[in-house]
Amino acid sequence: MSEVATVVTGWGITIFVIATYSIWVVSRGKAIGQELGIGEMEQLDPRKDAGATTDL
Amino acid sequence: MLAETLLVARKDLRVEWRAKIALGQVAPLALLILVVLAFALDANSSLLELGAGGLYWVAVLYGGTLLIQRSFDVETDDGNMDAFRMSAIGAPSLFLGKSLALFVQIGLLELVLGSGIAVLYNVRVADWWLLLVAAAAGTVAFSVCGVLWGAMSAGLRVRATLLPLLLVPVLVPILLAGSRAFETALGVRADAGWTWASLMLVIAAVHTAIGFGAFGFLLEEG
Amino acid sequence: MTSVTHSNAKMTATATTRVLGVLAIAATALMTVLGLLISPADVIQGEAVRMLYIHVPSIWIAYGAFVLTSVSSILFLRGRKRREDRGRHYDRLAGSAAEVGVVFTGITLVTGMLWGKVTWGTYWQWDARLTTTVLLFVTYLGYLALRRLPADPIVRSRRAAVMALISFVNVPIVHYSVDWWRTLHQKASLSVGRRPEITGEMYWTLLYSTLAVTIVAAWLIIHRYRVIRLEELRDEETLAALISSRLDKDDGSN
Repeated sequence: MSEVATVVTGWGITIFVIATYSIWVVSRGKAIGQELGIGEMEQLDPRKDAGATTDL
Repeated sequence: MLAETLLVARKDLRVEWRAKIALGQVAPLALLILVVLAFALDANSSLLELGAGGLYWVAVLYGGTLLIQRSFDVETDDGNMDAFRMSAIGAPSLFLGKSLALFVQIGLLELVLGSGIAVLYNVRVADWWLLLVAAAAGTVAFSVCGVLWGAMSAGLRVRATLLPLLLVPVLVPILLAGSRAFETALGVRADAGWTWASLMLVIAAVHTAIGFGAFGFLLEEG
Repeated sequence: MTSVTHSNAKMTATATTRVLGVLAIAATALMTVLGLLISPADVIQGEAVRMLYIHVPSIWIAYGAFVLTSVSSILFLRGRKRREDRGRHYDRLAGSAAEVGVVFTGITLVTGMLWGKVTWGTYWQWDARLTTTVLLFVTYLGYLALRRLPADPIVRSRRAAVMALISFVNVPIVHYSVDWWRTLHQKASLSVGRRPEITGEMYWTLLYSTLAVTIVAAWLIIHRYRVIRLEELRDEETLAALISSRLDKDDGSN
């Protein structure tokens, strides 16, 4: 493989992997959200984030 | 604490002695591995002699993993972990006791493997002390890591495949150092055997310290 | 569930992360232009140097992500009794960072091997850095496997946290021993992988690429975190439904 072809392959694989992973993450979030019947999450505040375990 | 440690170790060894899995199944299997490795290298005696140090540790890794698995299967099958949590035996004693029992078992396995390699691969020992120190340090590291990662995968359904995956990466330095130290001990390579052996001692100490501190977290329930 | 509101918009996005997402795409586009077109070829390495604009930031991000995993694991273990959420915030952070770290370690390995093929003439060398990286990759794959197993969530999280810490302590040990292995026996081969002098435009491109990759990684970690939280919510709801269906069985309402 020539240098240029190798570089393009490397960049191509990287962009493909990142794009696929991003799409997977977002669509998984959507799928589970729909399953749960919930919509948009509000701004995430880690300090106040008690999640579903508030009542424990 | 010493008494508790010995109690746990004696319990494990007695269970093992009654079942005789280590000597009856794991050791013969490890010997078979030695034969298979000879197939892989086409019984090329000079290659086998050169690689004996590394092949020894590969076989120990294989057999040792099975022993580690077993050491925790006997606990989780009968719900013994709950009994331990309730008993007065502290996590450090439990960790040391189980490590000691594994040390004895893996040590025995290594004795069988060492004799097997001496005969089958036709090796001569150039430095007995180096061989013993490296083997002891490697066995300590194997045992303590084994107890730690065994507890980590204990009770999980897919532990048979999970344990090796988790265990091998942490044991890599020991396998590497052990192979090099053995090469010097067996007179195949002249350099740095003792340097590798001291690295093994350091690694064994680090893992023991980590296990001592971290084992409690792994026992906690809910 | 104070943080969940009902609407029909996207599940894991918020206004802030949407901006971050757009920024990530724009930054990547600019990085591609800078890295592939505008920056010059290297005197020694030629075009192959362009691979480093991905390779180098990726491993930095991967290490950064694994540091985040370790720190979060410590905070999880410390906060598991005190905090209202039993430290699960930190557990999610550890998990999402580790996954993103594994993705970038994989990218580091692939781009590194391709770079090696044109520069060294071989995909693989038993060089200390390469060997350590591949072991790092496998270690954290194991960590992710442990996290995925069906078990009590808190017990599993605690085991994963301990594993994350031990693995992190182990990284320097692995690196040191592999480094020793190579330098004790094959001094010559090390000079093959000599790094080029990175200055001027190449330096700025590399610096910018690091920024761009950081934005992308931040976006990924935040979103993965939210998905983990959704997964937890789903598991809890499934459990609750199962329990209530058992309880309702007596009066036939299923």
